[in-house]
Amino acid sequence: MWRNKKRVCERCIFRLVSVEPFDSDLSSVSASTLRSWLESGDEEDASSSCSRVCIVCLGVLQLVFSDAKQTLVRSECGSDYAARITDLVKEEGHEFDSFAFEVSVPSTIVENERAVLFYLKGKYNSEGWVQSDKISVKDALKVLVLDPLKASLGAKSDSSSFHIRLTYSKASDEAQSASETTKHERKKRKTGEENGSTCMSENSFEKVYEPCILSVHCNKMPIFFSGRYFKMSKQIFLLLTGDLYRWIVQSYLLQYSRNVSQSRWIIDDERMGEASVEEIIGGNILPACFGDSYKFHAAGREDIDVRMLGSGRPFLVEVQNSRKCPSQESLMEIEEKINNSEKKLVGVKDLKFIGSQCWAMMREGEAEKQKQYAALVWISRPLEEKDINSITALKELKILQKTPVRVLHRRSPLERERTIHWMKVEKIKGSSHYFLLHLCTQAGTYIKEFVHGDLGRTSPSMGSILGCRAEIIQLDVTDVKMGDF
Amino acid sequence: MAKNPETDDTMETTKQNQSEEEVEHSDEQKQEDELRSLLLSDIGDLPLSPPSATQVNFVSYFITDFTKPGHDQYIYRHANGLCVIGLAPTHLAFKDEGGITNIDFNVGKSDRSVLKVSGKRKKNAMRSESNTALCKVSTAKDSYIVRCCVKGSLLEVNERLIKQPHLLSSSADREGYIAIIMPTRPADWTKNKESLITLEEYKAKKEVSL
Repeated sequence: MWRNKKRVCERCIFRLVSVEPFDSDLSSVSASTLRSWLESGDEEDASSSCSRVCIVCLGVLQLVFSDAKQTLVRSECGSDYAARITDLVKEEGHEFDSFAFEVSVPSTIVENERAVLFYLKGKYNSEGWVQSDKISVKDALKVLVLDPLKASLGAKSDSSSFHIRLTYSKASDEAQSASETTKHERKKRKTGEENGSTCMSENSFEKVYEPCILSVHCNKMPIFFSGRYFKMSKQIFLLLTGDLYRWIVQSYLLQYSRNVSQSRWIIDDERMGEASVEEIIGGNILPACFGDSYKFHAAGREDIDVRMLGSGRPFLVEVQNSRKCPSQESLMEIEEKINNSEKKLVGVKDLKFIGSQCWAMMREGEAEKQKQYAALVWISRPLEEKDINSITALKELKILQKTPVRVLHRRSPLERERTIHWMKVEKIKGSSHYFLLHLCTQAGTYIKEFVHGDLGRTSPSMGSILGCRAEIIQLDVTDVKMGDF
Repeated sequence: MAKNPETDDTMETTKQNQSEEEVEHSDEQKQEDELRSLLLSDIGDLPLSPPSATQVNFVSYFITDFTKPGHDQYIYRHANGLCVIGLAPTHLAFKDEGGITNIDFNVGKSDRSVLKVSGKRKKNAMRSESNTALCKVSTAKDSYIVRCCVKGSLLEVNERLIKQPHLLSSSADREGYIAIIMPTRPADWTKNKESLITLEEYKAKKEVSL
């Protein structure tokens, strides 16, 4: 019989040839029973036929695979196979009550199946079973395995955020030779169809003698946490990568210069380990989730030497492939740990788990209309009462800012109009030259340049308003207004 | 004396509301006080006259007698590599009676003040060598050519000087700057640097107390 000669497995035979659909009833029948139904008296040795890899499904539907250690694993039935998969899934350590099941098979299977179907259609054109839709190898495996897998894992199967993916790949596979053979085969197949040949040439098949290698991957979709952070130190970055690179470049340039105070840029070895807000917050949340990695997103940003005080700035932490979702209590513990740490570089509040609405909230935050600051300002002459009055009287002050020199190397040279909504002067006891300037400005305003004038490129500036020289000693963000975040 | 339980009760609750409000108010006050103390935490260390933004963010270099005696210029180099060019205090132009009357950017082959540099890559910026002319500064008596001193791309000239030449006299090291140049290659800057001197050397050379 051509079937035995061509080494197609029992389940594939039933799948491709039978009129009955390959449903769960059929799938619960063991391979040996199926074989006995097919036996038609040929002198085929039972053991040899089951030890040969099916040329269509490459062992997938025979429930045979090679594991990571290259050991051959055979399962007699769906439940046995499910048990082995369950073991592999449990090793990943996820907690879940539902899962999405995905299967990926090598393209050779699809191609070999096409070749078989082509041959069958050519030879048995008149018969009814030839034209019916055939279930794919992937779907057949799911039918075979899904119910026992659900029972074995104790979970439902649905469009969950937890994915279990079975990836079958060819055993003797080098990526190059695979693509070469497929190109080759595609050409041959095309010519075969054009000629209308009805023979199934050996060459249109890729001969595979070994079962596929199976790897099981579990992945949980990212989970999100939101909160507000405080930055208490003037020597700590917000984010690690971009800021750190810039810091390294700038400190290199300054190191080889003279007459510049370097204290702002020196970060000693000890502090380098906790150099950013991102690391302190993300680095504490990640272990509680047993996740693989995290990403930190903040609604806006501030310079390294600017503190974030007052209301705090909204942020999101995205955790990839988390195994456990920490409870609200553990989140509170994380908050306390960060807030009570010895160095007091960063603070956190309102840390909580958040769902998919987080992105809408972040976008809203980035387009925030107003931000509030407190700047410690020095002027070259004593502050007078009339100065305080003239500053407070300025509402919705429009200023024109040319791109500040300190960012001009990487930003477009533009002139930007910005609005200072209001300003308040707070006198400092014992000093007539220093005062605290509270101001509320439009997003995107360069505050430092507004105070010292940036060589006259920001106008009006604090100096031009008061008719003297003004310098900014310290800048703190005191409020980031953002809705319900 | 018979107590009226209803009025007593309402009196109790308003008192409670009041004290709750007070607690809230004092919480807010506490937060504000905490914030204020943080804002002023470094107040004890404040110097009488702090360093200027220029002194903190830039490194000062000078070049003296550039192409002609008495043509002294400064080059303030920012940590990001950009150089602000201007007239040093000992430049001849400041010695003329009557002060600075006019600054003209139309020198060499083009008017430097009409350049339109755009984009992050600084398209259309004029390439300059160290002796490329930037502008002509005129006083009542004489006129002087100011040159780039730095090889690179000319990003910006201070066009405010056209309408307000007095800026140059009053604050040559800030609002009276001449131009901003971006050295195109680090190698260009290192080579340039060889002909420049530091603030200390400048002071010594010109015997000026700044």
